[in-house]
Amino acid sequence: MARFTQVFIALLLSCSAGAKAAEPVDSVMTPIRPVESAYTIGFGSSHMADTYLSPLKYSGWGLSVNYSRRQAMKFNPEDWVMRLGLSVRADRAVNPARNATMWYGGIDFSWAMMRRWMLPSGFSAGIGPAAMFDAGCLYSARNGNNPASAKASVMIGAMGYAAWNGRIGRLPVTLRYTPVLPVGGVFFAPDYGELYYEIYLGNHSGLVHPAWWGNYFRLDNMLTADLHFGSTSLRLGYGCRIHTTRVNSITTRHFTHEAVIGISGQWLSLGGKYRPASAAKVISSRY
Amino acid sequence: MVVAIVSMIMSACHDIPEYADNPRGNFEALWSIIDEHYCFFSEKDIDWNEVHERYSARIADNMSRDELFNLLSEMVNELRDGHVNLSSPWSTSYYRKWWSDYPQNYNARLIEQYYFNFNYRSLGTVNYGLLQDNIGYMHYGSFETGLGAGNIDYILQYFNTARALIIDVRDNGGGVLTHVGDLVNRFIESRTLAGYIMHKTGPGHDDFSEPFAYYYDPAGGHLRWTKPVVVLANRSTFSAANNFVSIMKLLPGVTVIGDTTGGGSGMPYSSEIPNGWGIRFSACSILDAEGHTTEQGVEPSEGCEVDMTVADEITGHDTILDFAINYINSRY
Repeated sequence: MARFTQVFIALLLSCSAGAKAAEPVDSVMTPIRPVESAYTIGFGSSHMADTYLSPLKYSGWGLSVNYSRRQAMKFNPEDWVMRLGLSVRADRAVNPARNATMWYGGIDFSWAMMRRWMLPSGFSAGIGPAAMFDAGCLYSARNGNNPASAKASVMIGAMGYAAWNGRIGRLPVTLRYTPVLPVGGVFFAPDYGELYYEIYLGNHSGLVHPAWWGNYFRLDNMLTADLHFGSTSLRLGYGCRIHTTRVNSITTRHFTHEAVIGISGQWLSLGGKYRPASAAKVISSRY
Repeated sequence: MVVAIVSMIMSACHDIPEYADNPRGNFEALWSIIDEHYCFFSEKDIDWNEVHERYSARIADNMSRDELFNLLSEMVNELRDGHVNLSSPWSTSYYRKWWSDYPQNYNARLIEQYYFNFNYRSLGTVNYGLLQDNIGYMHYGSFETGLGAGNIDYILQYFNTARALIIDVRDNGGGVLTHVGDLVNRFIESRTLAGYIMHKTGPGHDDFSEPFAYYYDPAGGHLRWTKPVVVLANRSTFSAANNFVSIMKLLPGVTVIGDTTGGGSGMPYSSEIPNGWGIRFSACSILDAEGHTTEQGVEPSEGCEVDMTVADEITGHDTILDFAINYINSRY
């Protein structure tokens, strides 16, 4: 027992010494991983249908406010990047007779870590697992006891990107295509003719459904061009969402196309105790 | 691999049936909405396919909007349901036979004049006052607007010395079910089964969920009424008011007097057809606490079915209210 204790203490001390010895090395070798943040707004067309509310397809406009953040990952910054996205959107659409209005309001959150590959001629690409969450509500002003259709899902899937960094004339430019594809998870839907009043009364059974491509399909596409004017960039882009579900004989669709404009840039946080060494390598998530 | 992905995507782009915005398309859309969502086909023994055949033959491509509206209104009236309305920009259809085929059994002016000499209190849609023999009376005209908990406290406080309370819901066409609960919870002493609710689980006529029991809890921190209660009803007591009577009737110390209520136990659901007309119809069935449907109405308590007589009305008497007063005087 005494021998075992001595070995354990020796191991502990060696680990401690190792950790202390690593500190000065780490302060020199830790690469700098700047954060690329983008703040954008999108505006465009919106096409919505939800047979819980109406058998008709509605068309109108949609507006989104978006934040995204990319950064090389700490554990292997050369090969892995993460992307976080947060969007708040509102849509207004009218029925074909243009005498009824449907509104949508919702939030979307996604996070992904992607394995990336640097390709020749300024190209790069990546793909990796992603987690997504969204919540929202469709509201039909003309309906009485079924005026709204709540939306919520927690999904896992894949996110990818393909990028090109180069110049157009003398202007540095980053072109990037980012698709997000949920594969499975769970989502909320009431039963075929179930009113929310019954849910309010306490009947919560059968509201959460396993999601797969047969009953839940969503594909978010974002094509952006970052025009780098110094430290801050102008982001122009096009976004497209394809989202359709069918469960309990209720079909929903939400298709959007929107033009995107905003700013982006790479920033480095120097707060706290973190002091990068002057020789530290900068690993950008831009590529 | 690509074929598999594409086929999965295509299967996920779920179809939604489309109907043309013409007389035939609007007819088919309306018929299908009702066919897939209406909840009382079996209960009312309605052959909706036969209705389709009969009305389809009357659809013409060149019919006017007014002709189409009248025809579709006639079709949905086949459902014999006061909760079914077709709404166009110039008119809304109503099925009225649930009350028009029966005596009205209520005259508000008669009570206001001959029982209160126009001296009664009003609060929202409620008129209330003390009748002879120290009996409280309140007429709740509609559940569309609710009373606040404090308002109900004031009314019950006003009646605190009364021997019994008459709640008159004649001509109450319904409203919001939560307002029903706000009133019922003053007359119960413990958690009480109020009824069951069933919804459609698919487009089949008999695709229903298991009945879901719902309960009301006593109003905590507010006045509750423990003395006898008489509820007055007529055929125009409909929808949420019908639900109110169905719950109150099964409570101890409560008697329902008057006529059978108008029914309307289906929770209405809204939809629309391609030309933009709205359609409202019963989609969820609410059963009473014994599991019985009340779509055709709630009968008065045994021995308490009363109609107003013309002779009484001429002499300033409400036969049903007089029956209730005598009932209370003879028992309490």
